[in-house]
Amino acid sequence: MLKKDLVEKNPLRVFHRDANGNDVTTRMGLLMARAGLGKTAILVQIALESIFRGNQVLHVSIGQSLDKTRTWYDDIFKVLVEETKLEKSFEIRDDIVRNRLIMTFKESEFNRPKLEERLNDLVYQNIFRPNCLVIDGFDFENTDRQTLTEIRELAEAMDLQIWFSAVCHRDDHRVGDDGVPAPCHEVGSLFDTVVMLKPDIDKSRLSLNVVKDSTGCIQKGKVLYLDPVTNLVKEA
Amino acid sequence: MSNNLDKVRNIGISAHIDSGKTTLTERILFYTQRIHAIHEVKGKDGVGATMDSMELERERGITIASAATHCEWDDYQINIIDTPGHVDFTIEVERALRVLDGAVLILCSVGGVQSQSITVNRQMTRYKVPRIAFINKCDRTGANPARVTEQLRDKLGLNAVAIQLPIGLEAEMKGIVDLVTMKAIYFEGENGEIIREEEIPANLSAAAEAAREELLDAASMFSEELMEAALEGTPTPEMIMKAIRQGTLSLELTPVMVGSAYKNKGVQALLDAVNNYLPCPTDVENLALDLDKGEAEVVVTNNSDDPLIALAFKLEDGRYGQLTYVRTYQGTLKKGDTIVNSRTGKKLKIGRLVRMHSNEMEDIEESGAGDIVALFGVECASGDTFTGGGLNYSMSSMHIPAPVISLAIVPIDNKAQNNMSKALNRFTKEDPTFKTFVDDETNETIISGMGELHLEVYIERMKREYAAEVVVGAPQVSYRETITKRADFDYTHKKQTGGSGQFGRVAGYLEPLEEGDYEFVDSIVGGSIPREYIASCDKGFRKSIVKGSLSESPITGIRCVINDGSSHAVDSSDVAFQLAAIGAFKQGYQKASPILMEPIMKVSAEGPTEFQGAVMGSLNQRRGMIMGTSEEGNYTVIDAEVPLSEMFGYSTVLRSLTQGKAEFTMEFASYKQVPKMVAEEVILARQKRKKEQQK
Repeated sequence: MLKKDLVEKNPLRVFHRDANGNDVTTRMGLLMARAGLGKTAILVQIALESIFRGNQVLHVSIGQSLDKTRTWYDDIFKVLVEETKLEKSFEIRDDIVRNRLIMTFKESEFNRPKLEERLNDLVYQNIFRPNCLVIDGFDFENTDRQTLTEIRELAEAMDLQIWFSAVCHRDDHRVGDDGVPAPCHEVGSLFDTVVMLKPDIDKSRLSLNVVKDSTGCIQKGKVLYLDPVTNLVKEA
Repeated sequence: MSNNLDKVRNIGISAHIDSGKTTLTERILFYTQRIHAIHEVKGKDGVGATMDSMELERERGITIASAATHCEWDDYQINIIDTPGHVDFTIEVERALRVLDGAVLILCSVGGVQSQSITVNRQMTRYKVPRIAFINKCDRTGANPARVTEQLRDKLGLNAVAIQLPIGLEAEMKGIVDLVTMKAIYFEGENGEIIREEEIPANLSAAAEAAREELLDAASMFSEELMEAALEGTPTPEMIMKAIRQGTLSLELTPVMVGSAYKNKGVQALLDAVNNYLPCPTDVENLALDLDKGEAEVVVTNNSDDPLIALAFKLEDGRYGQLTYVRTYQGTLKKGDTIVNSRTGKKLKIGRLVRMHSNEMEDIEESGAGDIVALFGVECASGDTFTGGGLNYSMSSMHIPAPVISLAIVPIDNKAQNNMSKALNRFTKEDPTFKTFVDDETNETIISGMGELHLEVYIERMKREYAAEVVVGAPQVSYRETITKRADFDYTHKKQTGGSGQFGRVAGYLEPLEEGDYEFVDSIVGGSIPREYIASCDKGFRKSIVKGSLSESPITGIRCVINDGSSHAVDSSDVAFQLAAIGAFKQGYQKASPILMEPIMKVSAEGPTEFQGAVMGSLNQRRGMIMGTSEEGNYTVIDAEVPLSEMFGYSTVLRSLTQGKAEFTMEFASYKQVPKMVAEEVILARQKRKKEQQK
């Protein structure tokens, strides 16, 4: 497989390409799942897909170390190379490293002003100009609508796409009007796309269920699933 | 030395620079009564710490070469190798780890897990060295041992578990709580030599109970006996210690201790932990390579009665000649015995055998398996294996990184010239990462090594120890060349100048090689090049890759394939085909789009978060690629990859940018293509320099 096929055949293209094949901007996306199901694996694949499309990605990892986050990329890319028999993988790996920057924060130390300050450091000094941001480990339990609104405004001002991950809990049954489960039930409207990773009823596999989409790219329901062996996202 | 190997500990002390290793070693020597007064690093008394035996180390306050020393604690024999903290001297750390059975990882309670701790930890993992952690400097402002323990888990991936708690922190640090015995320990007297055990202070009892619970949970994974006792609420200190030892030896548990070497707190407890939790020589499996059986691995026996296997891991030039530090893996080294250097096959007689105590020594008659001693007057290189009883074994080879930086040095006079030769001869024997050669064209002596500081130290040592004054040129980066696409060649070498002529035709192609430096492929069918000349073609290609046409740098990552050619019954010869291959290479190389490659360093800069933007900007200006940042409180670590050529003098820049509050370390990462604009400058500069030299 060639790099261009990684873009054309990538299952995650459903998040930004409409029925006519045109690219649509998802300003803020949200990936939800219970703890330990594979949110980071999916966020890393969203980041990689964006890099393959020529974007620069800033990966903000809250509560995880730099090495651990880097290992996620290495592992996912290794499997991807094996699975797709990707040609010129060394060059593509260099490309990933060039177009990805990882920032890690302690849980208690990440906030909107700090994110803005870091982004400004990067952009104004021409160090790194991200088009896409993935934020893994954001604490939705202890945030408010105002903070997320400001992050969305920041994304708009800097022309960024942001994907968040959020942990939901089995015993928390609260759901927002738009079907977005707790702890994001009150902020669902700030997201263009919300997907939920959960086991199918027969528990045969983990599916990505589209809870909400206002971009017009995807229909509600199951469109993708996570291969339990490789951790790669695949088309259902 | 006791023959009871159970009571022998060969340990290393490794850490990030300025974590207090040398101070800690000094205290260990004091409490084990090897020295009778404590001298500080950069001490006001002008004496300096005992382990920093080189004058230069005392001045700079860093330990450059590992000094070995021996001491006794509670009837246990402990051999300590003090190791350098700077990455430039990593080979010293690696060598020490090769011969050690266990290690103490020192961390600063303020700085926490810093870049060098990560490198050292990686090295310890590579050599499967069980380790215990000591969080030092708990008396310093901002001390936070709990955060450091967490970092040991997060950053180093260790199953770190506290076996002590500090009683007070910063200026209030008074002692430690031992979570195994559940006692408070205070260190009193002028030098902390009087130990007083008390009940745990009431204000700490809840925290101590909680920490002990954690310790029991972690340790009971290694002992069913402890697990059962913990469930019944009857665990004994012996059970806990046994389980911790089990976990430590299996590399699955890292006990964490706290203290302040400078304030004389916690050092004796650390020595107890060395005895209790680190392995003895028989706990560790060491392998030798049987050179008669295709380097088949053989487990050494640790038996003093078996034939000798010993490894020379460090050389030093002393007043009485070469001093060789050796670790004996099996057999006995005896004064007067004859041993064999398995690399050279030469027989050597042991004239003098000593046990080292930093720069003092004690003569001994013999030394058994598992011991670390030093030999006098034995001619060998670092890394050589000594054997006895007809064995032809070698201890497994060490991973040695290639040098990335070089300097031209010119002695100021004839006397300096002679002394410089002696010094270089010594240094290259001592340190495999330090190389030297004479440039054929410029006739200059070139020294190369792992970084600016590495070379600086050798230049200083030349001056101080050998009275060799030299004029030093600007540091030069070791560039490489490689090709980016396949290119065919078809070259005929023909010469007829009377007498027998020369004829050889070589055809084939060059192509990039993804892994490795050079590969020769013979795809000749039908004997178009006679078999006896195939090796000549290989030789010709090998000569060609020594200097590339862009910048006269070595060529790497290239495959040379020959698939056709022709010969002449009379005029073809080894030389003719070598010259044909050289011509073919030149022809193909130009077409294969050669590029210049430069060493890229993995840089880790650490400092207060307020300077994060400025530091990132400074790395970016140096063509650096920021790989990531880690923010913890007011402290940030920035990881980047930066070309070595851009890093000269960076320490000064970083200091002025951050009011001296940030520091950085770097190590070689890989070779990468030099951007076109920069490559043109490098090539032009080289051409200019060459022209000047020819004038």
